[in-house]
Amino acid sequence: MSFVEVEFAFFLPLVLIAYWLLPRARVAQNSLLLVAGWLFYASWNWKLLSLLVFGALLDFAIGRSLGSRSLGDVDARGRRMLALGVSLVWNLGALAYFKYSGFFAQSFNELMTAIGIGASLPVLHVILPLGISFYTLQRVGYVIDVYYERQKPSQSLLDFLVFAGFFPQLTAGPIARGAELLPQLAQPRQLTPKLLASAAGTFLLGYMLKAWVADTVGTTFVDPVFANSDQYSSGLHWLAMLGYATQVFADFAGYSLLAIGTARFFGLELPINFDAPFISKSLPEFWRRWHITLNRWLFDYIYNPLVAGSGWFRGRFYSALILVFLASGLWHGAAFTFIVWGLMHGIGMAVQRGWDEWYRGLCRKDRKYVTLRKSALYGLLAWGLTQLYFMLSLIPFRAGSLADAAGFARHMFVSNGNVTLSIGTMSALDDLLCVLAVVLLHLLELPRLRRFRDTFFAMPAPLRGAVYGVLIVYLFLFVPVGASTFIYRQF
Amino acid sequence: MSQALRKSLIDWLDDNYHFGDAEGLIGGDDDKSFLQNGILSSLGFVELLLFLDKSFGVRIERKDISPANFDSLNKIMNYVLAMPSYRGPR
Repeated sequence: MSFVEVEFAFFLPLVLIAYWLLPRARVAQNSLLLVAGWLFYASWNWKLLSLLVFGALLDFAIGRSLGSRSLGDVDARGRRMLALGVSLVWNLGALAYFKYSGFFAQSFNELMTAIGIGASLPVLHVILPLGISFYTLQRVGYVIDVYYERQKPSQSLLDFLVFAGFFPQLTAGPIARGAELLPQLAQPRQLTPKLLASAAGTFLLGYMLKAWVADTVGTTFVDPVFANSDQYSSGLHWLAMLGYATQVFADFAGYSLLAIGTARFFGLELPINFDAPFISKSLPEFWRRWHITLNRWLFDYIYNPLVAGSGWFRGRFYSALILVFLASGLWHGAAFTFIVWGLMHGIGMAVQRGWDEWYRGLCRKDRKYVTLRKSALYGLLAWGLTQLYFMLSLIPFRAGSLADAAGFARHMFVSNGNVTLSIGTMSALDDLLCVLAVVLLHLLELPRLRRFRDTFFAMPAPLRGAVYGVLIVYLFLFVPVGASTFIYRQF
Repeated sequence: MSQALRKSLIDWLDDNYHFGDAEGLIGGDDDKSFLQNGILSSLGFVELLLFLDKSFGVRIERKDISPANFDSLNKIMNYVLAMPSYRGPR
């Protein structure tokens, strides 16, 4: 079951009605959320629900154990480290087994064959538990925060189990911190008209992005070009990449808004996951705006401790950046295409850092370089390069193999294909409208234009309702039948 | 609060990020969030920690390595001045 499947259209209202009919008490509300979360997960695979539940129970117990002795207690240091180690081994071990064992065994076998050694490891084909990449990071973050006393251990098993299995975010985030969700779960939630309106607006926007924008652009334009790359002209390859950037943003930002909107229906606030990434003028800015909760996790728990810690990586910004983005690539999927994607962004971040260092030197010498950096021309160039680099990095991200990626990249410059875009067809116009919708959403985040967005939300409820109504009618007419799954759900 | 420490931090921000504009960005509000107001990014914050160590001998404890602890001039100064290892202008 996912947000855009018909089962969810029955599941969500039923759970919501039951939730708000219950007494406004923490235990009652959290009990229902827990049952709903487990049902939601079991509807996908009831056997693998046990992995989710066992991991949550383990991390709850480890959190309590860590909380019983302080970080400064020298006598307890060994026991605390052991507890942290058990959690990390279990969580990351499960992730490695389910997600990477097949990939590593196969890669090892290919390497052995290539160098003429006949050794081979058995390649396991195991089901990837839904959401494991997301719920694992959420729980690992919690345990590390408790270890370092940045987070008090949860004292309620019920609250913690909901935190570890809250169904709106269970399959693809946003990855919340304990400090963000646990305090909310410790309080009873109240229903207000403002809450409902905000939840509905967010949910509708998410649905629009996913079911209309992502699925339209994906099915009518991007997929055909990637499936038969050699038949299309070079120009269409570039347009397809632009389309894919639109699709992947709309798909995942849409999912995230659906998750945030659904959580809000229950009176709970999840962290935002996207903040208009296509207005970014540098790669660091881009990663602060794209999949925010994953990137802050990678920086909080890998980059910052490495660079500011006392080990080999201390002060080695470039190596740490490449490592973090390699980890990000591997997190996205067990394939060389994702490793290349991660490497591209690690190198991109390192180059950006090198450029910034060099440019700082110029600014120190002469203030005219400060003025130049603030100019529209510099901004435009920086924006163009950032977005182009991200778009090109999507080639390995989207391709099924490195050979496909290389073929697609070649066809972007040289292609014998003669299929061109049929401008004026309904499908092409719908694609264009989808792209314009994403552009508009980004423009409304620019400081100069944000007031238009604020004006809309300040309008009387009936007027806003009418706009939502028109949007719903449009979606009914133009959403492709049989919406696809979410791209990030596979990770 | 130590004005000398404050000046060192402003100088560092100017020398690395704002080139004379740091004081203006902070606008007299030493509680202003660095992250929320574009004064320092999460990447820059790690560089700040290394600067504090190198210049003032303040070794940040691993548990404290979080942008939230260093998100404003006042937060940084409170943290730094409370560190026993601090060697610098008080």
